[in-house]
Amino acid sequence: MDFFSAGLGLACLSFVLGFAWRVHGRPGSRLPAASEQDRRKSGLAAGLVDIILLRRTLRTGKLRWAGHTLLILGFLPLLFLHAMDGIVTRPLFSGYEPTLEPWQSARNALGLAALAGLGLLVWHRGRRLRAFSRVQDWALLGLLAAVLLTGFVLEAAKMASPADFERMVADFFPEADGDEFIALQAHWARENGVRFERFLPTAPEILEQGRELHEDRCAGCHAPTATAFASRTLADALPAGAVLPRTMAPIFWHLHVGLAFLVLALLPWGKFLHPLASPANLLVRGGRWDSGFPAAPPARNLALEACTRCGQCSLHCSVAPSRRVLGNVDILPMDKLADLRSWLDRSLDGARLADLVEGSHVCTECLRCTQVCPAGIDLQDLWISSKAALSEAGRAGVDGEIRKRTAGEWAHELASRRLGKVGASGSGLADHAESFWGCVQCTTCTGVCPVVAVSTDPQRDLDLTPQQIMNYLRMGLKAQTLGARMVWSCTTCYKCQEHCPQGVPVADILYELRQLGARTLRHRGKP
Amino acid sequence: MKTYDVMVIGSGFAGMAASLFAAKRGLSVVQAGGTGGIDFSTGFIDLLAVHPVAEQRVWEDPFAALVALRRDLPLHPYAHVADDEIAAALEEFTGFLEENGLCYTGRPGRNTLALTSAGTVKPTYLLPCSAWGGVEALEAKAPTLLVDFHGLKGISARQIAEVRADWPGLRTARVRFPGMGGELYPEHMAWSMADQARRIELAEAVRPLLGDARFVGFPAIFGMTDTMAVVRHMEELLGRRVFEIPTLPPSIAGPRLRAAFDRGLPALGVRTYTQKLVSAAEVSGEMFHFTAGSGSTAVRIAARGAVLASGRFFGKGLKADRHAVREAVFDLPVRQPEKREDWHRAEFFDPRGHEINQSGLETDAALRPLGADGRPFHPRLHAAGAILAHQDWMRMKCGAGLAIATACKAVRELSQNL
Ligand SMILES: Cc1cc2nc3c(=O)[nH]c(=O)nc-3n(C[C@H](O)[C@H](O)[C@H](O)COP(=O)(O)OP(=O)(O)OC[C@H]3O[C@@H](n4cnc5c(N)ncnc54)[C@H](O)[C@@H]3O)c2cc1C
Repeated sequence: MDFFSAGLGLACLSFVLGFAWRVHGRPGSRLPAASEQDRRKSGLAAGLVDIILLRRTLRTGKLRWAGHTLLILGFLPLLFLHAMDGIVTRPLFSGYEPTLEPWQSARNALGLAALAGLGLLVWHRGRRLRAFSRVQDWALLGLLAAVLLTGFVLEAAKMASPADFERMVADFFPEADGDEFIALQAHWARENGVRFERFLPTAPEILEQGRELHEDRCAGCHAPTATAFASRTLADALPAGAVLPRTMAPIFWHLHVGLAFLVLALLPWGKFLHPLASPANLLVRGGRWDSGFPAAPPARNLALEACTRCGQCSLHCSVAPSRRVLGNVDILPMDKLADLRSWLDRSLDGARLADLVEGSHVCTECLRCTQVCPAGIDLQDLWISSKAALSEAGRAGVDGEIRKRTAGEWAHELASRRLGKVGASGSGLADHAESFWGCVQCTTCTGVCPVVAVSTDPQRDLDLTPQQIMNYLRMGLKAQTLGARMVWSCTTCYKCQEHCPQGVPVADILYELRQLGARTLRHRGKP
Repeated sequence: MKTYDVMVIGSGFAGMAASLFAAKRGLSVVQAGGTGGIDFSTGFIDLLAVHPVAEQRVWEDPFAALVALRRDLPLHPYAHVADDEIAAALEEFTGFLEENGLCYTGRPGRNTLALTSAGTVKPTYLLPCSAWGGVEALEAKAPTLLVDFHGLKGISARQIAEVRADWPGLRTARVRFPGMGGELYPEHMAWSMADQARRIELAEAVRPLLGDARFVGFPAIFGMTDTMAVVRHMEELLGRRVFEIPTLPPSIAGPRLRAAFDRGLPALGVRTYTQKLVSAAEVSGEMFHFTAGSGSTAVRIAARGAVLASGRFFGKGLKADRHAVREAVFDLPVRQPEKREDWHRAEFFDPRGHEINQSGLETDAALRPLGADGRPFHPRLHAAGAILAHQDWMRMKCGAGLAIATACKAVRELSQNL
């Protein structure tokens, strides 16, 4: 078996096996699906528009959008028209030869567009996402760039290669005599940039003879190599008189094809799947921005695979500051998703599972990540359902601990402790008289609170309402508030804070109390 | 940066009215403001009911009262606005509210006595249509059932009936509000009334108690954005006239008004920055530059003219420390009692009111606040609403009316100068 067939075979095998593993490998049923599922119709057309125009990517930034668009517009035609020319282009276009126009110049333009796109993406990642990036993020960009660059070098090497010239003459002009051969060489050296080892005549009549022979024998399949503008520029960049080793073109052919097979083989693994999974997910989501909780299990599995690790969710996560304070990466959606996937695959335990549980409970389900995700992943659904699944599995975290007792019982225990302050800077809002200076107990915060609104009996369900918590705090009764279910049910929607006529940072204070409670419980039992 | 014709500072009655009038006159408008009087108002639009306050004289005809007021108090802001302009402003204002789902009514040229949650009556000029049934029931002393709810504080039907001993046909009942328990809040109840099923449950709870009642009064909780549709549905379900009584502030009236403006002003092209206060203002001959909000969400705004409608102390247009009162945005001179001791009278309920409640900005006849030199601070800076000096809107019962009228005047004067 030759290199090509073996490589292609192995790559396809890896692709098929990996894909099967990813689709069937996970017991998605660990995430609870409520009895009634969201049946709102999703629009197929809207999903298609999302895919084709990369609408959701555009929302996260023009640069990312431009990078992706250039990469896709360049790469897809190269994949179908160039890499798969034997089964696509040749049957479709009679007389197709990769060395004819417009194919030669198109290939160069497409390759440059894809490289430019990659350049933008690398730049963007380096500038904005460096902190979130892992090896595979860079690896994907690097591999694609390597495939494209080796393609250009390969084309340039072939152009300059006397070996290829000789092989072609032997195949298509075997009857050439010595003079004719030299005349043709002279023409190709001058016009098409072939670098022969020996000196060639430049007399006009010989060149003219070479031109005629070229027209007669070669031009049917060869446009001037200058139309492959990028590769020809590359070939011409070598110093005059330099001759390439004859092994150069074969080496780069193996590199180029081998790398392409590697990408195919890696496609089902990790982030490499996203060019397939993200569009599929967008199609399933049908243009929806909100959460469809609870989603159907197959949709959830797809969602889990569709992450591109683009980092947008982590950039926009509304509890990202907690990550800085607590140092737990699973507070950020992108990393939490990866660990959730591991947990569902039953390969997560110990400290990482503890991180996942804590991260799940720091999340306020604010919906921002769902709205911003360029792959349209219904993250909200994943968080709500995984939080429930983790609790079911006995991993209810601080949130669960708190709910085991009433606010009053917690107050009893916590009253004897020194409840420190939150954050490294140390000054908590809840400890400052200025925070409550203006509070007139007007109940506006409670009146607008959606959490109070959905509770059938606030006293019973939430222990204290927001305005009561503010009142306790300004009386210095912090311990009494830490265990209040209002604190632990707050969605940090900020309506209270936005509506407060007196500028009391109600939501910030509730959030601070929750962090303080979490830390107090983390250190419970320790001195 | 875009330069607007008008920057409106404040989103109370005066600020909302100024933005509305300016946008309707084709000016480009930007508005910034936070929570203020409008969020706590009962929803009544008072024009003028009491003058002189010392005598507590209540007027049935607010325009007759205006004539007397202008004669007795030539410095009062109403002295700068003509009657027909006031009437037109109120009409435009309520017309806008109507377009945005809030129906207002009243008797042209006459104040109406409206029922309050305390059982007292209050003279006002325009009131929400949802409260009008209460006016008719009270005037006719018609057989009426007043309903209140377990868990909703600040309104007691029985207390109202006790105060209204002159209304023997008034009966009361307390029911459980369907679907909610414990302590109730008007906004949550109002949202839940958007659900027709809720209304049917409520009607079923009240129907057995109807008896001979021709009117049924409820605390104001009938929907946020579609109040009259809810009222009509309840009338259909109960077969009786139905009305609302405003609850204690913060009641649902404020959110309803704010919601109407939040919907309607952007549709007129007004750029609104809600919950952002102006933290800095730079003034040059041609231009105003403002910073609204703080920190990472602060915005810069440029405008050729401005209307200062930032209210008094509650609205935060004026700031008082232990010694003096200051104006918050431009640090304009504030008319105020000379000495701290003169701020308040000895008796809290002194009918003459307190000197501090007359403090505010002095203006010229075009409502331009005066600078330290006694001349207009800037040719295109006008002021409107509660921040104006020489008025005690609370005791004169002229809060919203004065805000709307002066906003109209300020915008008209400003538009002639742009
Ligand atoms: C409890 C209560 C009940 C009321 N009931 C009635 C009633 O029944 N009938 C009636 O007619 N009137 C009533 N009023 C009066 C009315 O609501 C208004 O207070 C009055 O009309 C004054 O309006 P205003 O717009 O001038 O000031 P305010 O309503 O006080 O508004 C001031 C606005 O300016 C904003 N502001 C302040 N500083 C800045 C800044 N630096 N930058 C930007 N914005 C700023 C504030 O955030 C606020 O939006 C009531 C008021 C209250 C408080």
